[in-house]
Amino acid sequence: MADLKLRDVRKSYGQTEVIKGVDLDILDGEFVVFVGPSGCGKSTLLRLIAGLEDITSGDIEIGGRLVNDVEPRDRGVAMVFQSYALYPHMTVRENVGFGLRLAKVPKAQREQAVGEAARILQMEPLLDRKPAQLSGGQRQRVAIGRAIVRDPDVFLFDEPLSNLDAALRMDMRAELAGLHQQLDSTMIYVTHDQVEAMTLADKIVVLKDGEVQQIGAPMELYEHPANLFVAGFIGAPKMNLLPGKVTAVDGHEAVLSGADLPRLVLPAPEGDKLAAGDEITLGLRPHDLKRMPDGPLELHTDLLERLGHETVVAGHLPTGARLTAVLDGRSPVALDETIRLGFEPSSARLFDAGGRAI
Amino acid sequence: MTHLENATAGAPKAPAPRPAATRRARRRRRDAVMFIGPAFLIYAAFVIVPLGMSVYYSLLRWDGIGPISGATFYGLKNYIEVLTDDDLLQIIGNAFQLAAWFTIPPVVLGLAVASAIRSQMAGRFGTATRTILFLPQVIPLVAAGIAWSWMYDRNGVVNQFLSLIGLESWTRGWLGDFTYALPAVGIIGAWVLLGLCTMLLVTGIARIDGSLYEAAKLDGARPRHEFRFVTLPGLKNEIGICVTVTIIQALSSFDIVYVATAGGPGIETTVPGLEIYRLAFAHRQVGLASALAIVLMILVLACVLPIQWALRERKQ
Ligand SMILES: Nc1ncnc2c1ncn2[C@@H]1O[C@H](COP(=O)(O)OP(=O)(O)O)[C@@H](O)[C@H]1O
Ligand SMILES: [Mg+2]
Repeated sequence: MADLKLRDVRKSYGQTEVIKGVDLDILDGEFVVFVGPSGCGKSTLLRLIAGLEDITSGDIEIGGRLVNDVEPRDRGVAMVFQSYALYPHMTVRENVGFGLRLAKVPKAQREQAVGEAARILQMEPLLDRKPAQLSGGQRQRVAIGRAIVRDPDVFLFDEPLSNLDAALRMDMRAELAGLHQQLDSTMIYVTHDQVEAMTLADKIVVLKDGEVQQIGAPMELYEHPANLFVAGFIGAPKMNLLPGKVTAVDGHEAVLSGADLPRLVLPAPEGDKLAAGDEITLGLRPHDLKRMPDGPLELHTDLLERLGHETVVAGHLPTGARLTAVLDGRSPVALDETIRLGFEPSSARLFDAGGRAI
Repeated sequence: MTHLENATAGAPKAPAPRPAATRRARRRRRDAVMFIGPAFLIYAAFVIVPLGMSVYYSLLRWDGIGPISGATFYGLKNYIEVLTDDDLLQIIGNAFQLAAWFTIPPVVLGLAVASAIRSQMAGRFGTATRTILFLPQVIPLVAAGIAWSWMYDRNGVVNQFLSLIGLESWTRGWLGDFTYALPAVGIIGAWVLLGLCTMLLVTGIARIDGSLYEAAKLDGARPRHEFRFVTLPGLKNEIGICVTVTIIQALSSFDIVYVATAGGPGIETTVPGLEIYRLAFAHRQVGLASALAIVLMILVLACVLPIQWALRERKQ
């Protein structure tokens, strides 16, 4: 177990800077998820922490020790790879015990540690098989077992569930959460799937183009996205973003209007952050939209997904702007229908012309 | 007409899908024969027939010039001679020594080169190395043999180099030396085959999942462990192919030896391939030559089949 600190960590491949100065504090025992679109540098950041790549500049501390020049094997980290990376010619037992074998741990002790890991992951019957004889989910277990058995300070996971089917992914997600509770160790988990991030994380780090967009607890990110990118990335379906303009600010109230927006009166944020004439973007979560006979938004539906417990309705506003709403499961709505939607003023989010939350 | 009626009448008795399946199976078999047939005929004409004739000749005493009807049946005496004659046994032994030279240095160096350029695989360095090492492969063996015999000459670059670094006393006419001629020839073969082995091993190592090396690093592996636990197991097939090819090359070698030493001094570098040629065309002992050829073939199979067998078993 250890905490972890990143100070202005940068990584360039040749001329292209891939990680552009990341500062991050990870507490002992925390489950941190790096999330972001493909190619944003999540894996690179994880590999920098593991020591599989050298940082170009900055500092990485694990458990209070500067590890910039420490070999991967001496960093006290274990990693679970997306491709599992099991040694194909070794049995599961040998795969899991390989690290201990290299560390010259006596055989009896090694067997015991492997057995313990196998018990935690319920894979005792698999111990004498080769990786080729395992299913994807079982391989995943072995890869995790190999990490557990080394009793690392920090666990690193690089998209460990992305090769599994949806049902298995959900099971493994729950198991990983359980594992974290059981082992109580620091875990860093990389995914492009915001659902995994929301469900697993104590703390989410949203990355885009090698820069941290926001760090926070899942609900914090959901409720108060720091910018348009986070707003669009966290939450499914995506937050609706409608351009508008401030027409007046009057004490505690701001009046907005826009092509898609009829006159809207919202509580003005603290401080004088809004002024009449400001260009803004209004963010509305699909789940916050409700059918209201006199609601301000007029949606012409053209897509209907009935999921049972809820109904996802998508369509366009009179100007053509797209809007998605999530209504009640049995909501009597039809395709090609015009419905009126409204929302609690407090659930609306405002972003300035630069995309930052107001 | 009756035939058709019979078939219809009999149909309800037999399971319904059966006739169709049989007809399809028959058609499939006919297609297979049609596709394999021509290749099989060529194979038979150029492999099986000559092999059978060699076996037949090996049982005769024949000078290869007169009509074969004039040859005398000799039974297994040719084989007994091959397996008891000291010179012929030494020649077979030479082939095995040569096999060690042809096989071990190329595979060991190939593995070293492949491991070394694994990380630079995509780079220009890797491509350049591969090209340079592969060059000997495209040079005709005869040309390679001639070039090397110049280099091994009393005034050749090998001796010049030894003199240059102060090892004057080591200089000699390498290919005429009773002790060093065979190793010298072996090095020529190793040089030729190094490219092929490196090529195979470099390509093979590129196919090993890179994250295995990273996983091993995190598991505490040092480079030697990575080599032993990731590279070697991952290259088992390629190493098997290299060993198979180099052993066959060594045991059946002819051209390099013929050009470099013509089998001398004495019979120090004579290999079965050379001896077969000599027995058949110079000494007119076609029967004995054929027997040696058959023995050589059996030796090649005895070396190569276990390797192939081991590789096949591993895949299951
Ligand atoms: N070895 C490398 N050389 C050059 N560019 C790289 C290398 N590894 C990653 N990159 C680049 O760095 C960026 C981030 O990659 P990565 O961390 O794998 O993204 P993610 O895991 O978020 O999908 C990508 O644009 C990728 O092309
Ligand atoms: Mg990645």
